[in-house]
Order: sequence, then structure tokens, then C-alpha cells
Amino acid sequence: MATVTLEDICKNYGNVSAVRDVNISVADGEFMVLLGPSGCGKSTTLRMIAGLETISSGTLRIDGERMNAVPAKNRDIAMVFQSYALYPHMTVRDNMGFGLRRRQKDKAVVARRVNEVAASIGLTEYLDRKPHALSGGQRQRVALGRAIVRDPKVFLFDEPLSNLDAALRVSTRAELTRLHRELSATMIYVTHDQVEAMTMGDRVCIMSHGEVAQIGKPMDVYLNPASTFVASFLGNPQMNLIPATVSEGVVDSGSGKLARSGLMSGSKVILGLRPEDLAITGDANDAVLSGRVISLEALGAETLVHIDAGSGKPVILRGGRETPARLDDVLHLTCKPHMARFFDAETGLAITPGDTQ
Amino acid sequence: MSARTIAVPVSGAGLRMAALLLLIVVYTLYSTGPFVWVAAMSLRTTTEIAANPYGMPWPAHFEKFASAWFDSNYDTYFLNSVTIVLSAVALLTIIGGMAAHCFARYRFRFKSALYFLIFSTIIFPPQVTVIGLFQIMVDYGLYNTRVGLVLVYVSIQLPITIYILEAFFARIPKDLFEAARIDGYSEWSIFWRISLPVAMPAIATTVILNTILLWNEFLYAVVLITEDDKRTLPLGVLRFLGDQLEDVGMIATGLMIAIVPVVLIYVFFSERLIQGMTAGAVK
Repeated sequence: MATVTLEDICKNYGNVSAVRDVNISVADGEFMVLLGPSGCGKSTTLRMIAGLETISSGTLRIDGERMNAVPAKNRDIAMVFQSYALYPHMTVRDNMGFGLRRRQKDKAVVARRVNEVAASIGLTEYLDRKPHALSGGQRQRVALGRAIVRDPKVFLFDEPLSNLDAALRVSTRAELTRLHRELSATMIYVTHDQVEAMTMGDRVCIMSHGEVAQIGKPMDVYLNPASTFVASFLGNPQMNLIPATVSEGVVDSGSGKLARSGLMSGSKVILGLRPEDLAITGDANDAVLSGRVISLEALGAETLVHIDAGSGKPVILRGGRETPARLDDVLHLTCKPHMARFFDAETGLAITPGDTQ
Repeated sequence: MSARTIAVPVSGAGLRMAALLLLIVVYTLYSTGPFVWVAAMSLRTTTEIAANPYGMPWPAHFEKFASAWFDSNYDTYFLNSVTIVLSAVALLTIIGGMAAHCFARYRFRFKSALYFLIFSTIIFPPQVTVIGLFQIMVDYGLYNTRVGLVLVYVSIQLPITIYILEAFFARIPKDLFEAARIDGYSEWSIFWRISLPVAMPAIATTVILNTILLWNEFLYAVVLITEDDKRTLPLGVLRFLGDQLEDVGMIATGLMIAIVPVVLIYVFFSERLIQGMTAGAVK
């Protein structure tokens, strides 16, 4: 296994900058998730690590060794593609052994290793089939098996679950987590699915417009987003972002107030409140927000209440199944003060109360 | 006793089907007619044909085939055809495959111009280029050689081979090539181990097309080959064409010897041919 370090990595296509000054350090045995919307540069970054794209500037190191000019085949990495990229003319056995045969000439060793890995991921009975005779989930496992067989320094995953149905995605997620635990391998995983990022990653690197927006443990990033972009990208429904003004230790949202010291009086901020941190209160004086219910979504285990609090975008409250709200009700919402987050209204960056602004 | 007419209802779809069937039958008769006629003549003597050109082959003179094969040098022509066509098709497949792989996979300077240049050669009819080609072959000592004819065959069929294969290679997902690169294979190995095997339907199509076209090729062969021992099967008929007499019966027999392998290839591989022509993206 190995460490992977990206130092000021950039990727330009002519005058277009796809990735800018990316700095990521992946520890030995760590599961790092690159998360972001389409076009944010996460796949390009992964492909640069794989050696499938050249690096315009910056330094890539694997186990401390500079890899910029090292061809993909000499980087000792394995990659699982979104399309699985199985060789259609080969059996599962040949697909899994294809990479190993290049490095290991002893056919008996290759066969033994393929059999071992196939047994560990439940592919033994499919070894003599061709990819077209397999289901999507089985193909995905073959792609995984092909990577494991080689015992590489680093595993790279490019949205490997995107083509699976919802149920299969859940079970494969669990299988990948189990594999990571068993192999203790360094894994870098690209996805746009925040559930995958939250449940699988040791750390998450959120990317936006070719830059790193935040790196941290999933819950840390969720609870303490570094910017309004991260706040709105992580979480479903996303964090409520309400423009507010600060006046002598009180944050005024326009429809309610929240006492909070440490913020500069007179400044304009964005108040960030997760839907699950909001609660209904009967006392308008306690309310951080107030507004009329404009729609209700009963999802079975929970209810999402959309409220027009006059901030432009509806505020969403995530309540239990029995949430006492009806359409057109006027609700007063409160929250635990320590769960409120603040962002600079101009830059969108997080403000920690007490920071000098 | 009064006559009764029974009206059988005929639907519009039924009428259309009947018209279509009739059209297919007429077209089949039209296209197979000459073949059947030559096949019948191949079993008749020239005297019999002169007496009744459209007569049936009774009695059938099968000995004419043996006579053509052993007495009229058709065994040599057949061997020449097999050697020249197989060599040309093998070279076409390898060179065309490599060129198509490059055009489909790599971006390089003047790619479009080069592609256009190669492909533009098909717009010239062979009658235009054959004179110049004749002079080139003489200059390079390739005139009246089997190697020369192979090289000419490769050059005339290369554009269409590249065109068919390039279209197929371009549909192979690039992830496959990238996976092979990560698996440790060089570009050369990737071509042999991934591109060619995956493109087998298209390769089969070009092999069959090129074999049929070159097997029947007459113009270049007649211009560039003069020695009898180097002739290919389509030139075999020249043996039965004299200034005063045309041995029509033996010409038909010679034609049948030349045609049968092509018909057999088509019968056994037509499904593969259609598969390759209509193959979609690789799953």
C-alpha cells in the first residue's frame, strides 16, 4: 500500500483550466472520496493520478516518488471504471488475470490468485462466462476482482456504482467498505453521490470548479462546511441558507432572531441551518425564523415542511412522521444555537464567531 | 344450376405482401438467371450451345471440369489466385487494421488531411489509374510479378478497409484501452490483444469483402500479368478466347471454377458479413 500526494496539481486544456492548484494528501490505507458536481474536475484529477491524463503543472507522488512522467502501466495502480471496461472477448477468468499475466509469467500463480479473488467476491461459478452473459452487478464485481487480483499500491474508482440500480448500489457499497477494511488498501474514489461519500470515505474531498472546496472527515465536513457551496452540496435536503444581519450580538433573519456573540455588529452574513436542526416552537419570541407553510412532503419516516420565511428561497424543516404542520399554517422555528452556521455574505466562506472579520 | 361466386376477402396488408413477394421472385430470377445459364453452359459443349443456347445440360459433361483443371492450366490459376488473394487480404487486414486503429484512437497533426488523402483515391476509376500504375510497376521491376499484383490489390482496397474498420474501432469505448494501459500493456500489445479481437465482426466483414472483390478482379490482373503461369482464375478465360474461335462451353466451365469458391464463402459467411456491417457499439 502507499501514500498519494498531490501538490499544486493543475490541468489545462488549451486556455481552459479544468483543475487548479489541487493539494491532497492521501494516507497509507486511507479511503479518500473525491466528491463534487459534474464538471468539477474530480474525474480529471483521478485520471491524472492514474496516468491517463498528463499533468499540466504541480507534482504527483506515490509513496514519495514523483510520478508525473511515469506511464500508467508503471504506476502500480488499479482502476475500476464507471463502464467497468471489461474486455468483451475474454472470459471472466481472462479478464481478471489479464493485468497479472503481464507482470507474473507463472501461469499457475496467476490461476491461483484469480481463483482466490473470485472465491472472495463470489465469482467462482462465473469464471468461464463472458461479460455479456453477466448482470450489471456481476460485471461490477469482475471489474473489482480484476483490480484486487493485481494487489496494486493504490485502487482508483471512477463512479463505479453509477450504473447499478438502487438496491444493488447499497449492497455493493457495503461490499466495497468491507474490501477496504480487509485489504487495508489506499483507495481513491470519485463520486457525485454524497451518500457514497458519507458512508464509505475515511475523508472526503469536495471539489468545485476545478478546485478543492474542503477536505475532512465526512461528519466534520457535514457539520462544519467551509463555504456555502459545501453547505448546499452536502445534505439532502440541503442546508437552509438565509441572508441575515448582525446587530449587537443578535442575528436577525428578517423573520426571527438568534442570539450569538462574536460576530461583528452591522455585518451581513448568511445563516446556515440544517433542516433536521430546526424545530417548531409556539413562542414567536424564541423563533429564529417564521413563515407560512407552502408545501408538505410526507416521506413515511419523516416529513419535510417547506416554509416561506420571506428569505427568497423556501426554508425546509425535517420533522418526524407526526409533525404538527398543515398547509398555510404560520410556523415559528427555533434551533439549537450551537448548530447554527455563519458564512460571509460576500465571499460565502464560513465565519467562526469570534474571528476577526 | 346457377353459378355462385365465392368472394374471398383480401386485406390491404395481404396485397402488399403478395406484391412484395412477386417483386422478390422477379428480382431473384433476374439476378440468378445469368448464373444458372452459365452453370448450365459449363456442363455443355460449345457445339451443343451453338445448336441451342438455352438448352438444358443433358447429358451433363462433368469431364469438362477435369479437362479445364488438368489440361488448361486451371490448377495453376487457382493456386495463383489463392496465393495472391490470401496474401493481399492478410496484408490489408493488418495494415488497414493498424491504420484504422490510429485514425480512431489517436489525435495527431494532419489526421483529417491524411484520412481524406487515403480515402480520396477511391474516386478515380481504375481505368484512369491503371496506365500510370503500369508504368510504375515496370519502373520498379514489379510488372508481371505476383508480388506486384498483391501490392496493387492492397493499395486499391486499403481505403475501404480503413473506412469500415475505423468506423468500428471508433465505437469501442476508450475505457477498454485505458484499462489495458493500466493493466500494463503497451500500445502495440493493446492493438493485438484488444482492438483486433474486439473488432472481429468488422475484421471478418473486410476479409470477406476483400476476398470476394479480389478473387473476381480482372482489370489490374489482365494489364499487369502477361505470363500464363502467373495468371489468376479470372484470366483463365483468356485461354479459351482465340482470334477465330471462342470456346464458349469451356469459358463457362472456367467461370464456374472461378465462381464456386466465392459462392461458398458467401453462403457460409454471409451471416458474419451482415453482423459486421450492422454491428453496433461494443457492450
